[in-house]
Amino acid sequence: MMKNVLSVRDLKKIYPSRPPVAAVDGISFDLHKGEILGFLGPNGAGKTTTIQMLIGTLTYTSGSIVYFGLDFSKYRKEIMRRVVFASTYVSLPWLLTIEQNLNVFGRLAGLSGKEIAKRADPLLERFGILDKKKRSVSALSSGQVTRLMLVKAFLSSPEIVLLDEPTASLDPEMAQDVLSFLQDERKKRNLSILFTSHRMEEVTELCDRVVFLHEGHVVADDLPEKLARSVASHRLRLQVGDALQQSIAIAEKQNLTYATDDRFIEITLDEKQIPHFLAALAHAGIFYSSIKILEPNLEDYFIKIARTR
Amino acid sequence: MIFCLRRIGAVFLRYFYTITGLHQISELFLWPLIDILLWGLTTVWLQQQQHTPNLALIILTALVFWQIVTRANNDISVNLLQEFWNRNLVNLFSTPLTEIEWAIGSILLSICKILISLSFGALVIYLLYALNVFTIGIYFLPFAASLMLSGVALGFFFSCITIRWGQKLEMLAWVGPFFFAPFCAVFYPVASLPGWAQKISFCLPMTYVFEGMREVLLTHQFSMTDFLISISLNIVLLIISVGLFKYSFYCSRVKGLSRLE
Repeated sequence: MMKNVLSVRDLKKIYPSRPPVAAVDGISFDLHKGEILGFLGPNGAGKTTTIQMLIGTLTYTSGSIVYFGLDFSKYRKEIMRRVVFASTYVSLPWLLTIEQNLNVFGRLAGLSGKEIAKRADPLLERFGILDKKKRSVSALSSGQVTRLMLVKAFLSSPEIVLLDEPTASLDPEMAQDVLSFLQDERKKRNLSILFTSHRMEEVTELCDRVVFLHEGHVVADDLPEKLARSVASHRLRLQVGDALQQSIAIAEKQNLTYATDDRFIEITLDEKQIPHFLAALAHAGIFYSSIKILEPNLEDYFIKIARTR
Repeated sequence: MIFCLRRIGAVFLRYFYTITGLHQISELFLWPLIDILLWGLTTVWLQQQQHTPNLALIILTALVFWQIVTRANNDISVNLLQEFWNRNLVNLFSTPLTEIEWAIGSILLSICKILISLSFGALVIYLLYALNVFTIGIYFLPFAASLMLSGVALGFFFSCITIRWGQKLEMLAWVGPFFFAPFCAVFYPVASLPGWAQKISFCLPMTYVFEGMREVLLTHQFSMTDFLISISLNIVLLIISVGLFKYSFYCSRVKGLSRLE
């Protein structure tokens, strides 16, 4: 059985407005040791609210948060020595240099000056900002600030990292680099990561499991591939040219959903139905000049959930 | 045409739209009133002091002492504001840091800054006016300590206001102590105030320090009773303001600290 490092049970956040607003409405999930958990949902689903409750900057109305078997409401200080948070949407003191910021936040995490000096440079180098160590944060680009946030997060060798859209302001190459860093860290230290992102392809690549929030509720807790398959079929896109009407007739005969676009037909079908459909085309003497099979992905799931609002 | 009236109108509107709340409208009336009270009372009192010795020293020493209150206040309340502006509050309080640890760190730096600021102020007064604000001797220390406590208490108090109402009341972080200046007899004795104002005055710990400072400079007498009253009031004020500070932080966590950034 996998060991839980974080257990959230029936967590609720009800804002005391008139009428009261339930931003998070009784969610439960676990984060296992060494696991990368994707925490997804459309805007307003309750992701950021949940993360704020997980770091203690927002109180919860009811429920429980337990890290390492310790109740967060009673042992916040002890727990936050082992848990860190980084987000693209918070910043660091602008006038302080990278080095000064790390000195402050390293100490807040319980490190000595010597430990900070020893650990900071390799991390800064890994994220490509070592040469900017003496520069103030105000002189950095938004991507560099995001990388500095990650250095700050990993400086204290935490056991759990809560990352709120850490790649949002990064270019694709740097985002890929961050993902491989996270995978390396997980392998090396059996680190547990809770990761939010709107880039579904990186969630699929990085996360072992996905918790999907919608309107303050957990609507799914499963493997990314399983979630994708649960809502979407494969899509078969063929360039059939003049044989468009014949192709439509075959799709209708097999009760398949289709869409047409100029000389293309796109059939939505189960993976197992693909050979049957292609065989029917061949039997009817229809030739296609291009074929593309689109697999269902997490984005399909995301869009479906977002549209059910 | 060099100027576009529509653009000028747009700029006018941009700032006019910010004058929406009672607090912003009150600025238009409150600050002139505070200034007139403070400097009016000071001037009236000065006019009556033809035979008072050391008048310049009294005023300048009061000015240096008042710096202790404002600086201690700023080092709490403006430091907190800086975290709002830097969007760093969530970063700070997602670490094991507690509000009180944050406050103690700020106070320690404040003490260092006050020592530097006071020494510099005293030096400038000595060089420019050949007056020594340390004429009050060893009593400088208890007076300064008491004013430091008052400034810290005010800092916590005005921080509560910015935590509760956010950045729209941020100017109080700097100028908040000036609300109390006319009442705590910084530049003139309490006796110069009208009766109703004297009642407020005697509830403020700073009053006893400024009165005591003038007494030492004029009569070379140190009133231990006044000093103890000042310290006692400071302790009460500190307990209340720290309690309010912790409570407003708690309330802020109910709505989320990120709301303040």
